[in-house]
Amino acid sequence: MKKFFALMLCATFTLSAVGCSGGSDTGSEEAVEKYGSDTLKVFNWGEYIGEDVISNFEDEYGVTVIYEMFDSNEMMYTKLQAGDKYDVLVPSDYMIERLKGEGMLQELDKSLIPNLENLTNDVIGLDFDPDQTYSVPYFYGTVGIVYNKNNVPLELLEEQGWNILKNTDYKGSVYIYDSERDSFMVALKALGYSMNTEDETEIQEAYDWLLDLNNTMEPAYVTDEVIDAMAGGVKDLAVVYSGDAAYILSENEDMGYFTPNEGTNLWCDAMVIPANSENPLLAHEFINNVLTYDASYDNSYTVGYTSSNDEVKTDLSAEDGEFGGNEAYVPRSGYEYDEVFHDNQTLREKLSSLWIKVKSTNS
Amino acid sequence: MKNFKFLVYPYLIWAFIIIVIPMIMIAVYAFTVKGNDVMTFKFTLDNFKEFFADAIFLKVLERSLIVALITTVICIALGYPAAYIIANIAGEKNKFTMVLLITIPTWINMLVRTYAWLGILQDNGLVNTILKALGFPALKLIHTDFAVIFGMVYNFIPFMILQIYTSLTKMDKSYLEVAEDLGANKVQCFLRITLPLSLPGVISGITLVFLPAVSSFFIPKLLGGGQYVLIGNVIENQFLTAGNWNFGSAISLIMAVVMIFLMWLTKKADKDPAAEKGGV
Repeated sequence: MKKFFALMLCATFTLSAVGCSGGSDTGSEEAVEKYGSDTLKVFNWGEYIGEDVISNFEDEYGVTVIYEMFDSNEMMYTKLQAGDKYDVLVPSDYMIERLKGEGMLQELDKSLIPNLENLTNDVIGLDFDPDQTYSVPYFYGTVGIVYNKNNVPLELLEEQGWNILKNTDYKGSVYIYDSERDSFMVALKALGYSMNTEDETEIQEAYDWLLDLNNTMEPAYVTDEVIDAMAGGVKDLAVVYSGDAAYILSENEDMGYFTPNEGTNLWCDAMVIPANSENPLLAHEFINNVLTYDASYDNSYTVGYTSSNDEVKTDLSAEDGEFGGNEAYVPRSGYEYDEVFHDNQTLREKLSSLWIKVKSTNS
Repeated sequence: MKNFKFLVYPYLIWAFIIIVIPMIMIAVYAFTVKGNDVMTFKFTLDNFKEFFADAIFLKVLERSLIVALITTVICIALGYPAAYIIANIAGEKNKFTMVLLITIPTWINMLVRTYAWLGILQDNGLVNTILKALGFPALKLIHTDFAVIFGMVYNFIPFMILQIYTSLTKMDKSYLEVAEDLGANKVQCFLRITLPLSLPGVISGITLVFLPAVSSFFIPKLLGGGQYVLIGNVIENQFLTAGNWNFGSAISLIMAVVMIFLMWLTKKADKDPAAEKGGV
């Protein structure tokens, strides 16, 4: 969910393609014969892939990969709606639910993806696609609090949970993630509700909770700036995605990651093949390739998000692994209060207008 | 010359494609009911009602106009002297160098430059590190009004300087010589000749600064810490996160109307000195 570079594109309104890499010409005829085409269009999050994953795939299969990036699920969805064709996408849980519901995905042929057996149990059985009929998990994680261990005692976090974000001892020292989904998730969980609630009074309470936080804590609402800021130790508390938290923790040893007991958002970004894919065979091959140990390792090692490949996850989080001792790298799983977001466009619009009101209330 | 008239057609077609069609689409979205299917036109004024019914949106609009106004005033206050100095430097080469120095920052993407200021103004950023090293207390710079307005002025001032500079250099210097011969002093020369003649530059400078300042969304987002919501942020939010294109379009349309009105005002203001100019 890194948005930095994609945001640049967005701000300059050049939403078009970035970074295609030139493939090798050798063997492309063979690929055409086998798959019907030698080009594959992949649409993924910005800064979300290992350094050599694409070039290795190109070399091995003699194909050319056109790699484009997006910075939000909605932006990706808009491009699909506009008629752009891709072979592999990596949207998040709720967006997969929407795409599936609108018939924009095709069922996967599992016989072409033998590496499915490499998946970690944590990502199997999630609501949006419990048995991998349409999607294959790529990265997954939680949302939690990154805190400065020197200034915030763990006991206090355990005692107050999400409500520590409203503890005035930390006034002016709080980063809130600037998106209606994540901020309302925090508020609803802090109040002990489900983050997928449609109950008017519960939403109103969450709105009041956020308004109160806004008016008493002088919070800063940020997105990806939070990564560098927390790595630099600017503030004491921040709401952060576990994958970004893993990076922050590896950069700054004063920082810790805490997932509140009231529950949190369990998220998963997964690979899917759109219904209008022009090259589904090669797309299956690509998905299978990402699940190999080497590609998954490269992805997770480079990006810092938790791998869906069980062995990679185990190795990277082992004591001598890159993320050994990093509490953000292995997300909590199977906890009863953790939930996955469901797609609900009406609710989303409603929360969005409430959220902009919360932010506009000041000054 | 008549034979070359057809050369304007590619431009007209281009302008139609990139300006008129998007404007029409915005208008269509603004007056229709939500839904991804553009083909089911269902007229409504709800999008506008939603905007005016909520005091918060009007407050955000007001705040955006105030921030843009302050930015523009500072840009004139700093930009006019700068342009005047550059225009009066001896030697074409020196002028060129100065203009180049003003322009160089704009070669770099605006967002990248704003990110750089984020690092400089951050609580533990460059400025505060230096202050602390010198024994002064740290300042709260980032996520303040100061940071937002500073970022805006920094980003938009080159447009003001260049506009004023251009109109100053285009000015016929013989007017000044005549005025001096007729006994006008320096102050009179400036107030009665240079200033009126450079006003068109100031006016187009205002256009180039005020318009982007009103609708800017990433400067308040980055330097204001997200808490600093301006109208551009609301529009961005409606399009990119809320997915409510109809409401977003309605706000854009309201903004366009406000802008056109303000442009009409500045144009009117521009006319008066022009009339006066005839009397010089």
